[in-house]
Amino acid sequence: MDPIRIIEVKESVFADNDRQAEALRGQLRGERTFLMNLMSSPGSGKTTTLLRTIEQLRDELRIGVMEADIDSAVDAETIGATGIRSVQLHTGGMCHLDAEMTRQGLAAIGTEDLDLVILENVGNLVCPAEFDTGAVKNVMILSVPEGHDKPLKYPLIFTVCDALIINKIDVLPYFDFDMEKVVEYARMRNPKLEIFPISAKTGEGVSAWTDWLKQQVKAWNDPA
Amino acid sequence: MHEVGIISSMLKKIERIMEQEELTHVEKIVIEVGELSGVVPHYMEECYPAAVYKTRFAETKLEMITIPGILRCDECGMEFNGYQHDLCCPACGNRQKHTPLTGRELLIKEIVGY
Repeated sequence: MDPIRIIEVKESVFADNDRQAEALRGQLRGERTFLMNLMSSPGSGKTTTLLRTIEQLRDELRIGVMEADIDSAVDAETIGATGIRSVQLHTGGMCHLDAEMTRQGLAAIGTEDLDLVILENVGNLVCPAEFDTGAVKNVMILSVPEGHDKPLKYPLIFTVCDALIINKIDVLPYFDFDMEKVVEYARMRNPKLEIFPISAKTGEGVSAWTDWLKQQVKAWNDPA
Repeated sequence: MHEVGIISSMLKKIERIMEQEELTHVEKIVIEVGELSGVVPHYMEECYPAAVYKTRFAETKLEMITIPGILRCDECGMEFNGYQHDLCCPACGNRQKHTPLTGRELLIKEIVGY
């Protein structure tokens, strides 16, 4: 038997993933493709919000969608029905996507002729926040029925996101959801957070969100 | 659930280190877990046996060193344990602006093997 050795590592558990994510961003920069990572709880209206977003932007941007799920292809089929290029990624039981899985998904969808790729991450407010996917911007959806206290309960995801979509504002009258409080709590975690209250169902507020996204895509793909 | 994902990510990294260092067997993994890292040490301990079950790490011990989550209050300058005080300054009650000093890390400190 070889002698026992102690190997000093002193590196973050996330270091390898972070490096890979950074490399992926470099590749996307070269290809002029903007990757957006969309995170939320299950049932917050991710797919409906995506459909609205596609509807508003498809004439101006070439869009692709990657659907990450533990299993099934339900969401990819819904997106596929719009004629937008989409792939379904199965995480094989894992609760989040990492940079390597994202890289494989991007290779599968083919990004060279796409301006914007939206990654619909696994429905979960905890794990996806820990793993950098290589996205240019991180966006999360919080829906009214989930309650305004979520920034207090799941602080990390609010810290890593660039934009927060507050969805289902059409049902505000029926819930004890305090819009001022949610904005206050979210900004407490992240003062730079952009906040967009929308109803993906009625379309209210959606264009403010898509205008912001379009601006981000242009700034990345055509730097001055 | 969260901790299982983190453990498998950690094990992937350790496999790479084993290759580099030409190790065939790891007896112990030592990690540093900050109280403000979002990882609960207790869950980590509970998930670990399940995450390594029937893998090459089944016999590998996991040792955790907890790093206290210290924050400095931007209002009054008080340094306090953010984990114990629920991110609220015990001196002035400020819960908004703190500078983290320690306890956000999740590090693989060392591995012991041959």
